[in-house]
Amino acid sequence: MSIQVIDVSKRFGTFEALHHVSLDIEPGELVALLGPSGSGKTTLLRVIAGLEVPDSGSILFNAQDTTAKRVQDRNVGFVFQHYALFRHMTIFENVAFGLRVRPRALRPSNEAIREKVVKLLKLVQLEWLADRYPHQLSGGQRQRIALARARAIEPKVLLLDEPFGALDAKVRRELRRWLRRLHDEIHLTSVFVTHDQEEAFEVADRIVVVNRGRIEQVGAPGEVYDHPATPFVYQFLGNVNLFEGRISRGIAHVSGRRLAAPEHDGAVDALATAYVRPHDIDVSVQKSDSAVAATVDHAVALGSVVRLELTRHDTGDVVEAEIPRDRYDGLKIVHGQVVYLAPRRARFFLETAAPTSEAA
Amino acid sequence: MAAVLDLPMSVVRPRARRVAGVPVALVGIALAYLTLFLFLPLFAVFFEALRKGWGVYAAAVADADAWAAIRLTLLAAAIAVPANLVFGVAAAWAIAKFDFPGKSVLITLIDLPFSVSPVVSGLIYVLVFGLQGWFGPALADHGVKVIFAVPGIVLATIFVTFPFIARELIPLMQAQGREEEEAAVLLGANAWHLLWRVTLPNVKWGLLYGVILCNARAMGEFGAVSVVSGHVRGLTNTLPLHIEILYNEYQFAGAFACASLLAILALVTLVLKTWVESRVARETVI
Repeated sequence: MSIQVIDVSKRFGTFEALHHVSLDIEPGELVALLGPSGSGKTTLLRVIAGLEVPDSGSILFNAQDTTAKRVQDRNVGFVFQHYALFRHMTIFENVAFGLRVRPRALRPSNEAIREKVVKLLKLVQLEWLADRYPHQLSGGQRQRIALARARAIEPKVLLLDEPFGALDAKVRRELRRWLRRLHDEIHLTSVFVTHDQEEAFEVADRIVVVNRGRIEQVGAPGEVYDHPATPFVYQFLGNVNLFEGRISRGIAHVSGRRLAAPEHDGAVDALATAYVRPHDIDVSVQKSDSAVAATVDHAVALGSVVRLELTRHDTGDVVEAEIPRDRYDGLKIVHGQVVYLAPRRARFFLETAAPTSEAA
Repeated sequence: MAAVLDLPMSVVRPRARRVAGVPVALVGIALAYLTLFLFLPLFAVFFEALRKGWGVYAAAVADADAWAAIRLTLLAAAIAVPANLVFGVAAAWAIAKFDFPGKSVLITLIDLPFSVSPVVSGLIYVLVFGLQGWFGPALADHGVKVIFAVPGIVLATIFVTFPFIARELIPLMQAQGREEEEAAVLLGANAWHLLWRVTLPNVKWGLLYGVILCNARAMGEFGAVSVVSGHVRGLTNTLPLHIEILYNEYQFAGAFACASLLAILALVTLVLKTWVESRVARETVI
């Protein structure tokens, strides 16, 4: 089933949680809503579920307007960050709940309910926990039960609100892979909210980057990472260093170096900020006019790369650079040494644009 | 406390050692206080009640007027507790699980009986339903008597006891949050399912706790009931009012015998309360 979000806005008092948001989700897609806390991603998910009523705009399921439909009738599977299992019910009854509350005419027989619940528990590999209570389970187990419970009503859409947010790193990684596998098997249209970019990149078909109630960019994981549409996306997805520079007719001048900036070939002598990933910075011990001097504050070896933390002499800003291990060994860099930095590759955003707008 | 803990250890330790007798002294003071103001009077009630022997005690309790007072007390509680149970659950559910305008006003109103003197609560009903009051004459024309009659006593009891259940449930429901209800609705549950299958089972011990406190107060209430009762023996006297009358008439054995019934109620309440409290604590976790 497809989901369309059309021009949805939502305020909580004076706080604007969603600002004219529109989004299309294809049938069978697994989409991640990625953004910092307070960005509105959870509100968007809750509006789709019907738990929040938008101030304006509409939600379409399969091109049918469901904005006014009751939550009960939307047939949406929802998984909460803190599981929200019914604490006084056994695991079995938790999973059976959605079937037991159906109107009498649609309610399966006890035998059919039992069969279905056992099947779902087997699917999440926890059928041996059927008689336990939620508080007797680990976080990872609870979340799998929550998923089984959501699946019991055969939803047409699965929504997950920070599903792995409350779990420790190892369990989180396991569940992530498991969710991805499950999705590949059944192709249920799914939307999940996360603030963890690694999680979004690993699991999702498409990523929707949300910030301050607006959608900054929508795209496949690689596309979003390689071609960030806005400064915000650039900064949010991984570490980044900012260099001031000027752009004229597609050529950027940054720290005395000339870099191509074909996307800005219309600009004439415009102030621009270069966004440079740590691994796109050249580090040299030779003084040069086309590089800025910086002092090495820290060097941390991370497997095959070494991360340097440096302080620029001209601005006093902290710069983070990553160089290959053998290059680091070859340069014989020591703590407190002065080195010379130059961006090798950068993405430019013109200064006239506000730092997080899409006009860059 | 925090200020003390923030002090460097070197400052706290020697002082703590020097005043090692303090815990013993504090416990002693607390015990003496409890003995003087709690245990001694409680003991006195039973001592006085039984001073003239079991026969007098049994006679005092079995007296027709005493029996009528007990029945009226039970009747008032039997109406007030269920009424406040319904109101308390409804109010707590609305306050804890929904947002609506006027919520803070409702919370304040629930606390009103706690902040108003019981005598004033009684007077309010006299002013509204009494013969000189707003609706009294109209009701009297239809042959309905509220003040100085059983309905007045029930009304006053309901008023005085209505915060107990709501007050117990609101913080518990708020601590449990709305997510389980949201999950239930997403799974297709209607409001009825929510109440009976999710919300109430989650707060059952808190609810029982509120009922116990509400019942204890309903049976023991004196001030408000005294104003609206009119003290008609065998008709409009509750147990606390009956005790006062006996006492004023110097029938100490009878007064203390009836008082001992209320004291037993209090003790039973305490035991139940302690037991239920441990269950409530369990509901709050997870």
